[in-house]
Amino acid sequence: MAKKKSANSSSDSNRAKADPAKLSPQDKKTLGSLTGLADGVVDLAHKSRAPHMDVPSRSLSNARYNKTKRYIEMGNNTTRRELFNLSQAKSYMQTLLVSSGCKQLIEEGKTTSIRGLYYLLKHTIDGTKEETFNDQAESDPIIEDVEVLLNALREELHVYASNRGTMVGNIIINDSGDEIDCSRMGSGGYNIPSIVEPEVVQFVKCSAKFILHVEKDTVWRRFNEDKFWRKHNCILTHGGGQPPRGVRRLLHRLHNELGLPIYCVLDNDPWGYYIYSVIKQGSINLAFESKRMAIPEAKYLGLRSIDFERCNLSNSVQIRLNDNDRKRAKQIANYPWFKDKPKWQKEIKKLLDNDFKLEVEALINKGISFVTETYVPERLEEQDWLD
Amino acid sequence: MSNGSVDNVELVNDAPRNGSAPGPRRRATAESMAAQQREISVSEFFMKNRHLLGFDNPRKALLTTVKEAVDNSLDACEEAGILPEVWVHIEMVGENRFKVGVQDNGPGIVKKQIPSIFGKLLYGSKFHRLRMSRGQQGIGISAAGMYGLITTGKPVKIISKTSIRKPAHYFEIQIDPKKNKPEILNGKGEGVDIPPNEEGRKYIADHGIEWVEHYETPEGQKPEPLASGTRVTIELEAIYKRGRGSVDEYLEQTAIANPHVTLHYLDPDGEYRTYQRSSQNMPPEPKEIKPHPYGVELGRLVAMLKDADGATLSQFFTGSFSRVSPAVARKICETANLSVRTSAKKVGRGEADALYKAIQETKISAPTTDCISPIGEENLLKGLYNVVPGEFFCSATRPPAVYRGNPFQVEVALAYGGVSNVKKVTLEALREMLAESDARTLRQFIISSFDGLGADAADRILKAAEMPNRMSPAKLKKGAVEQLYHAMQHVNLSEGATMQVLRYANRVPLQFQPAACAITQAIMQTNWRSYGLSQSRGSLPNGPLTVMVHLASVWVPFTSESKEAIADYPEIAKELRLGLQTVGRKLGMFLRRRLKVKQEVERRAIFMRYLGEVAGAVSALNGSDRDKVYADLLRVAERKTKEADAKFDKHGRRVETPEEFGGNVLIVTHESPLPAGGAVAS
Ligand SMILES: Nc1ncnc2c1ncn2[C@@H]1O[C@H](COP(=O)(O)OP(=O)(O)O)[C@@H](O)[C@H]1O
Ligand SMILES: [Mg+2]
Repeated sequence: MAKKKSANSSSDSNRAKADPAKLSPQDKKTLGSLTGLADGVVDLAHKSRAPHMDVPSRSLSNARYNKTKRYIEMGNNTTRRELFNLSQAKSYMQTLLVSSGCKQLIEEGKTTSIRGLYYLLKHTIDGTKEETFNDQAESDPIIEDVEVLLNALREELHVYASNRGTMVGNIIINDSGDEIDCSRMGSGGYNIPSIVEPEVVQFVKCSAKFILHVEKDTVWRRFNEDKFWRKHNCILTHGGGQPPRGVRRLLHRLHNELGLPIYCVLDNDPWGYYIYSVIKQGSINLAFESKRMAIPEAKYLGLRSIDFERCNLSNSVQIRLNDNDRKRAKQIANYPWFKDKPKWQKEIKKLLDNDFKLEVEALINKGISFVTETYVPERLEEQDWLD
Repeated sequence: MSNGSVDNVELVNDAPRNGSAPGPRRRATAESMAAQQREISVSEFFMKNRHLLGFDNPRKALLTTVKEAVDNSLDACEEAGILPEVWVHIEMVGENRFKVGVQDNGPGIVKKQIPSIFGKLLYGSKFHRLRMSRGQQGIGISAAGMYGLITTGKPVKIISKTSIRKPAHYFEIQIDPKKNKPEILNGKGEGVDIPPNEEGRKYIADHGIEWVEHYETPEGQKPEPLASGTRVTIELEAIYKRGRGSVDEYLEQTAIANPHVTLHYLDPDGEYRTYQRSSQNMPPEPKEIKPHPYGVELGRLVAMLKDADGATLSQFFTGSFSRVSPAVARKICETANLSVRTSAKKVGRGEADALYKAIQETKISAPTTDCISPIGEENLLKGLYNVVPGEFFCSATRPPAVYRGNPFQVEVALAYGGVSNVKKVTLEALREMLAESDARTLRQFIISSFDGLGADAADRILKAAEMPNRMSPAKLKKGAVEQLYHAMQHVNLSEGATMQVLRYANRVPLQFQPAACAITQAIMQTNWRSYGLSQSRGSLPNGPLTVMVHLASVWVPFTSESKEAIADYPEIAKELRLGLQTVGRKLGMFLRRRLKVKQEVERRAIFMRYLGEVAGAVSALNGSDRDKVYADLLRVAERKTKEADAKFDKHGRRVETPEEFGGNVLIVTHESPLPAGGAVAS
């Protein structure tokens, strides 16, 4: 038994030395939930009962589309996680480790990335050759579990996701006390942080009239280089594929607080449809965050499956659908928010009929700046989008 | 061999038959044919029928010789109430020439009987009676002597001693192959008496014969002399090869089914081993019974009627059969339309036929079954445990039952776990076996040389040895043998092993024709999957296990004259099935429990691994005492996995008590092999 040895694990003593930071009321509330979690364990163990926790489930079956709110909500289902259950023992332990890691961050007044938390908690279990976490793919979902378990947002746990996502445009913001004019960001743009809550980011002045969100960096560069946002007086963002929380949260705030409409330019493939769906309705995995992130009014500008003919593109830009694409497309066509929309059904059917996908970059076929000078302006002009 | 009740089959003295049949045209006259009619010599008869007699080939000849002698020894000892001790010495005396000596501590044979027993074909005491004995198996020791004589020209040598003080009789005998009569070669045709003294000892040494004088006793103890016994020495042309169907296998299997026997075996390579008896109890003496009417075939009935001098049918039936009262006899006669007062001797062929049919139609109560002497559940366990390695043993003796008027009893025992023979063989022995083998491929060699090894296991061994399947065993280089040896030692065989089946009839191992045997069929038809073993449909199950099945009967129904497989009577098949199911269920229980304990041990280990982390995290979260949380959690963990606690031995394996299995189970733990029978509950 490794009982004696693990009694004073090194992280324990480190923790004691750290200076207690000034705690915000939110921090105090979060700490309260964390302590409560541990109290439950002590209580049950003392009564010789097996400890367990009921984690709200982040599965498809527990996600519902709320028709009036027009976004995905999390249901009330929970999954029991028990220490004395072979398949759950390890994740039970990991859940408590993540909780204690968050407590440490809050008490020390620090934040870290989900990767940082992984490294903070990763060590070899005493007396074994087993690691607490084998890789980050093990700790990431546990962090989400703790969020839903304590009904606390990730930021409230002092953890953030990697920032992936950039913004330029006619808006001035304040980020942690620094004023940033997003129209003067050169070629790189403003890196959207993962925590964009009002405590961190405030909107100072905005003259932009809408937001153009594109799928990825390469497309974003084209638009920035062509100074699209200046010509059209807008904000230009990208989220590096599936937009991270910070980007989604910022879009949500820009939309709701400044009343800016959002138009998306994404690839014409199931993945592009899915990104739009997440921005608009929220994701199944983070259904509990939909309220703060989903933008039901977001519009899908392109690319469309009719674009191959409409823009008269050459055959060489077609990319064949694979089985997985076809399967995903059919799934997406069945999403409750797409199901009753004839235009969307037509769009997806056409994609399947085409049996090929188109990347935004394909438009370069018609000229380097075709997308910024012709394609997007025409769509906006004609109000030709999917909703 | 017929079941006819004839005392002495004198082949040679049969009058030459007149073969002339009436026909339209005479091709030969009685006179011309008489010129060709001559006595058929015993040796001719013998050589023509050697396949029926167990002398089909030189290898089997060696086995049959040993078997005839050992079976006789055991039968004689048991009949005399002596715990049997048997010495088997096989010596190589030339190329393909062996001297087989078998000695026992039995009652000995009276002087005047010796020549007939060893010098006359088909002369025995067990052939005619209905009593459970080994003798029914063979064709008699004299056949072995005959074979020796034909192949080497050497006589059979017999020493027999009936009392400690009396001299031993020594005979050198050969069958007169023309007359089927013994010819005594020594002592001017009278044999020789060897006195129990120095002089006698010198005589024995001088004549190239042997005699074990004392039992083996632990050093320092006074050697105990053999009071009586018999030693038969036969020299014959033969081939000695280990593996399936070998003398070694026969002796080992005999030791298993006869735990009251001590066997000493000196093999042709000079290796000496002893199977020590593990039971001091003689099997109960089987009673002789009269035949039951249902078990008598028409031919036998006719013969019996002929022999019934002067008796009426009523007297004949009540006197010659068991379970026939005068009322039953009348019923039979009425059904056959015969008077009970008819003289049995005068019953004609047609009437016998009617009687035979009448018997089948008449309700006759089943025979008594106390004429069978089973090995018994406890002795089955001891015997198997003594010889077959394993962790789990169990046995079942079914109640006696009857087929066709013949009482019989089925016994089944099972050993699970343990190491295969493949792992026990030495490099030296392997080298020899390879040299002796006539298998065409290595794969075939492995399968046929080691019991319980299937094709799958053989393939895995060869793969590990990095050798092609088709390689010829004889062509292996020295280094390659070592490579093969190494692979045999290290390949995990328990998955690929198939069940090893030991079949017995009246305690005698059946070593040939497994596929034709009702025992094998019953095993294959049993669903071993429900007992936790893997098995493909219609074949033997897989796993490191040995099953022995014993059929005891006053008359064992063999499929053919070679007496190597048991016929598939429905009554026998049913008893076999029930017996196999009984041991199967116990094995299933053991395997399930072992699995459960193993799982619980693993489960606990996993929980324990995380308890420290959990306690540490909890303590960090709410400042509670880490050690107290840990202790509390530990208590819950132990309670949650308490199955795992059920009496662990040093190796974390559970020690089970045989009572849990309903008795007749032996469970062996690694560090403390129980003394034979130590944990037997019955
Ligand atoms: N070792 C022995 N000790 C005592 N009697 C023996 C021995 N071997 C043979 N006999 C006697 O000789 C008889 C003939 O033996 P055998 O020819 O083998 O025929 P069977 O065993 O079928 O009766 C036996 O029935 C037995 O009475
Ligand atoms: Mg015999």
